Amino acid sequence: MAIEIPKNLDGLPTSQRRFVGRRVRRREDPALLTGRTEFLDDIKLPRMLHCAVLRSPFPRARIESLDVTAAEALPGVEAVVTGEDARRWSHPAASSPDGWGGHCLAGDEVRLVGEPVAAVAAQSRAAAEDALEAIEIEYEPLDPIVDPFEAMKPESPLVDEAKGTNKMLDRVFTWGDVDAAFDAAPHVFRESFRWNRVGANPTETFGAICEWDPMSLELTVRGSIQSASHFGLGRAAVFGLPSNKVNVIATPHGGSFGGRGGTRCTDVACLLSRKAEGRPVKWIEDRMEYLTAGGSQAWDRHYEVELAVDADAKVTGLRVKLVDDLGANGEPYGAICAAKPLAAFTGPYAIPVAAYDLKLVATNKLPSSPYRGMGPPPHFFVLEQMMDIAARSLAIDPAEFRRKNFIPKDAFPYTIPSGNEYDSGDYEQVLDRALELADYAGLRRQQAEARAAGRLFGVGVASAIEPGVFDWNAYAIVGLPGTGVPEGATVNIDILGMISVRVGFAMEGQGQYTLVSQLAADYFGCELEAVRVVPMDTQSAPPSFGPGGSRLGVAITGAVLGACEKIRGKMTRVVAGLMQTEPENIVFRDGKFGIPGVEGASMSVAEVAGTMLARSDLLPPDIDPRPEATHVWTAAGRTEPDAQGRAKSYLTAAQSVHVVAVEIDPETGQTEILRYAVVDDCGTRLNPVVVQGQLEGSVAQGIGAALYEEYVYDDDAQPLTTTYMDYLIPTVNEIPELLRDEVVTPSPFTPLGAKGCGEGAIHTTPAAVLCAINDALAPLGARAREVPATPNRVWNWIQEAGDGNQTPQGEGSNG
Amino acid sequence: MSPTRIPVRLRVNGRPAEGLAEPRTSLVDFLRDELDLTGTHVGCEHGVCGLCTVRVDGVAVRGCLMLAVQADGAEILTVEGLASPDGKLHPLQEAFAEEHGLQCGFCTPGFLMALHELIDDEPNPSEEQIRDVLGGQLCRCTGYAGILRAVQSAFAKLGASPSTESGA
Amino acid sequence: MKPAPFEYEAPSSVEEALRLLADPAIETSLLAGGQSLVPALNMRLARPERLVDLGRIEGLDAIRDENGALCIGAMATKRSIERSALVAQKQPLLHEATGHIAHPQIRNRGTLGGSMAHADPAAEYPAVAVALDAEFRVIGPSGERRIAAADFFVTYLTTALAEDEILLEVTFPERPAGEGVGFAEICRRHGDFAMAGAAATARLEAGRYQDARIVLFGVDATPVRALSQEERLRGEVPSEALHAEVAAAIGAGLEEPPGDQHASPEFRRQLARTVSKRALEAAVARAAKA
Repeated sequence: MAIEIPKNLDGLPTSQRRFVGRRVRRREDPALLTGRTEFLDDIKLPRMLHCAVLRSPFPRARIESLDVTAAEALPGVEAVVTGEDARRWSHPAASSPDGWGGHCLAGDEVRLVGEPVAAVAAQSRAAAEDALEAIEIEYEPLDPIVDPFEAMKPESPLVDEAKGTNKMLDRVFTWGDVDAAFDAAPHVFRESFRWNRVGANPTETFGAICEWDPMSLELTVRGSIQSASHFGLGRAAVFGLPSNKVNVIATPHGGSFGGRGGTRCTDVACLLSRKAEGRPVKWIEDRMEYLTAGGSQAWDRHYEVELAVDADAKVTGLRVKLVDDLGANGEPYGAICAAKPLAAFTGPYAIPVAAYDLKLVATNKLPSSPYRGMGPPPHFFVLEQMMDIAARSLAIDPAEFRRKNFIPKDAFPYTIPSGNEYDSGDYEQVLDRALELADYAGLRRQQAEARAAGRLFGVGVASAIEPGVFDWNAYAIVGLPGTGVPEGATVNIDILGMISVRVGFAMEGQGQYTLVSQLAADYFGCELEAVRVVPMDTQSAPPSFGPGGSRLGVAITGAVLGACEKIRGKMTRVVAGLMQTEPENIVFRDGKFGIPGVEGASMSVAEVAGTMLARSDLLPPDIDPRPEATHVWTAAGRTEPDAQGRAKSYLTAAQSVHVVAVEIDPETGQTEILRYAVVDDCGTRLNPVVVQGQLEGSVAQGIGAALYEEYVYDDDAQPLTTTYMDYLIPTVNEIPELLRDEVVTPSPFTPLGAKGCGEGAIHTTPAAVLCAINDALAPLGARAREVPATPNRVWNWIQEAGDGNQTPQGEGSNG
Repeated sequence: MSPTRIPVRLRVNGRPAEGLAEPRTSLVDFLRDELDLTGTHVGCEHGVCGLCTVRVDGVAVRGCLMLAVQADGAEILTVEGLASPDGKLHPLQEAFAEEHGLQCGFCTPGFLMALHELIDDEPNPSEEQIRDVLGGQLCRCTGYAGILRAVQSAFAKLGASPSTESGA
Repeated sequence: MKPAPFEYEAPSSVEEALRLLADPAIETSLLAGGQSLVPALNMRLARPERLVDLGRIEGLDAIRDENGALCIGAMATKRSIERSALVAQKQPLLHEATGHIAHPQIRNRGTLGGSMAHADPAAEYPAVAVALDAEFRVIGPSGERRIAAADFFVTYLTTALAEDEILLEVTFPERPAGEGVGFAEICRRHGDFAMAGAAATARLEAGRYQDARIVLFGVDATPVRALSQEERLRGEVPSEALHAEVAAAIGAGLEEPPGDQHASPEFRRQLARTVSKRALEAAVARAAKA
């Protein structure tokens, strides 16, 4: 029986939709607000030990000797593990690109500051840290590999000798006749850009409690894990266990944003548990560990970009050269951040051809991790600066230049040169609303007055695409296999009509359990409170990836509605039997099964469930009497990538326009955001209050990346940003008030027309803020080509322009 | 090396409590590990993020920058003490729920405790005072917009409304 | 991120604290508000064998008027200073600077004495103490002595306090009538340590500078007093051009501003100009009104 999942809100079987699409208060909140939600570090297991990890202080060194006997002898210490144990009991981790993974504890050589070299399990974390100090270790420091351009030279020492090169990937992707487009273009604009490392920084760091059962040879891992199923598969591979012997229990996350990482130290805790005869071992990453060696850092990029523009001011070609410093290995899958731009390479613009020269380079820095947006935010930062450079040169208003180049609304579904297909949109309407909301004309008048007074006032208009509902096929170019990302849900109705929905992911902050409740409650016509959402461990859950790639809202909607549809189908047969009619005569609406026009022919969901479970004598023959169904949703129509990486990958394309006004203090280089307006279109909003929250949070992270946040290494690859005194997360006082509006163009391809929207504004915010800064600096001839635009950098740019010797910012100076 | 553990006696959320702490044990670790009050979270352990904020003798402090032994004899209020025993949320908690002032909720107890002090101290705080307090708490999810709305709403509920002049 | 083990004593008298501090057999640190020391303990950057907590000694947190001078006990919290009407009235510069220190949740525990004794070059209080000619009353095994602010801050995180001495109180002499004060700092985020900051005082007579003082922080290992420029201002008519000139000279005159990931030495020099000018202008504006 084919399952029909409603394509829009009117397709739900209710005449009075009470929850889906409405601003619904989150069911997660009361427990969170009272401190009752059980996060990982709140869990205490009997006989549990605590782990601390000894980490390399050198970015590159040989380990000359390592002696843990004194540590082992300390009271309270139950186990100590080193690289030897890792080699005896585990395999190198999987990675992207393939083959760039290592053991969880260093062998003869360390490759980054913070690399685990030994670990202790003890009665308390403090005692474990004490024992680390008793470990005797001698290093012979080696010259670190710091600069990716140096690293690519043949004479460079190697991060990993076995690989024979520091280039993890070196390929050019060409989509269309790019050379011809550039040859024919009357205008070609070129510029270099630098995006410095930023990262997720969820307020809860990563952690895991690992139990190695020596009798059954089963491994149980509890952790604040974003994709539990994949995490479990990874552990099975690392420890050579059958996949059904690894059970992962994901605990609620204190934020995630892609940057939870933590596989190495999880594996270390597993080794410690094995050595401690199966006692549970808790590892909680502390903040300095997170900043130095966790899943904290992403996007260390050097760009060279060219834009071809024809005589009508239409962009006819885009070339992007990217050197991405991925750090010391590929284990955190940061490489996929360089692949994801394929899903939206040309942004919201109808640029017919493009090329991507991609070099992923290994250095002795922390391996690059995913972070919200997964790579397009820097890509759109450079694309949007190029759009402004072209507009400024051609003396066209930047908003109008964008309008001229937008994909028109009647062109959807629209296939971009890098292969992905955008589902729907109305970019001009979004732009118009944004310009109106921000009072763009008024801002330009203010700017004219400010400039006349010698003040640096700038307005930025930027637009970007948020690819939503990720697909593995988008990452084929960095070695990831597969097409489709299944997400399942099991809906169960008990004998009294109460509903529970079993899912495979932990709570993370996007209100997904509320969404599941909204869907089931509107579908079956009951109260939200009648729906219970039950997260399952990986050995019990239906196939699930969980949150990530702006997918879960869409995917879980498909899964829940699919399961609801299956139950309806089953119940319809039961009801038809009872009412002595054919199933096609039965209509389900507002929680009741009935026959239209037949008075009294009506049964509630609870009555049907009760009948199924307690009156087998009334059931049709051969029916499975359980009012339960599982549906596993995966996006339809996804394709296998071709040799140039082209595929239908991300299912949805949300779009937004941000208008930002800034003023720069030329004396201090400080940028003040005076106005911030956002209009976005992410299709149907399943819980508008949650969508708004995602947007607001994402703008703040984007402002962090644009102005404040940066992981800094010195010339010897020593990290300088190892505390929150150094890595500057914006506080309330750095974030402007947002003006918001929305356009709704439902996706024709998704359940209820929703588009992925969880990553959201960070795709556009850094671009928009830098557009505004460049606009402010333009009268001086100063150019902002690097993020974050710190006061020191901005001041430098102004000085350089004043000196008349400004050079492109591409050398990674930290100011 | 078996460090001495010292008895610490205090009152938490209106009830007497006691436990043992090494001198080096922070107040937040003591509350969480010794008293099993895990609603207060740990975020950075160097005083910046504010997740571990609790009220000690009425003032909001970093639980990671105070030793448990320093709190001997003190009156502590944690997030577990905000709602009524019958489960009714404090108006501040209620406002956070209403205004989507939390997403993952991990930082929320710290925000609540810092704001709880403000409510007691300043029935009608200026926007600047609100921002001064909120500026000491990091949230990575909300972008603070929902939190600001929640604070406005909470003060309104509590019978006063903060002035809306543009602040810091 | 847990501290190395240490012993803990919480004496109830200064005498007892001094006795504990005097024991050469055990490396001892004093614990005041803990807002700088405890992070260092947690990171195991500070590893005393024993902490002597001054928090249980009565009377060390008093804020009082002594013949016009303002005396503040070392254990007075920044919060109590911020909220003291006496401080606001008698030492407006101290009051204003306090509001710039971190956030209420830190000021609730952080103390005046802790900040002074920690002597972070980017901190506000040491510069304010120098600007206001504060005097530090300290006690050691051989009794009390007084140290002038100008002599108290020796270098980066180092003061004139001997290892066996305790800071008891800081005295801020009464300000002359008609004085204006100004304070300016440039931080990456609100509440952060400043990349550069300045505290200034100014008195005018007949529209001319009678005297002025400018003390910078965050730009060297200790607070930096701009002596020659203070001298230069005397007798001059305040003007934007004069202030710009003085500020430029102050920036240029800095010996070796530190560089870090937030600000290069050159940029700090620039910021020193800006904060000097802003602090001075604010002081003059208030002096004129006074």
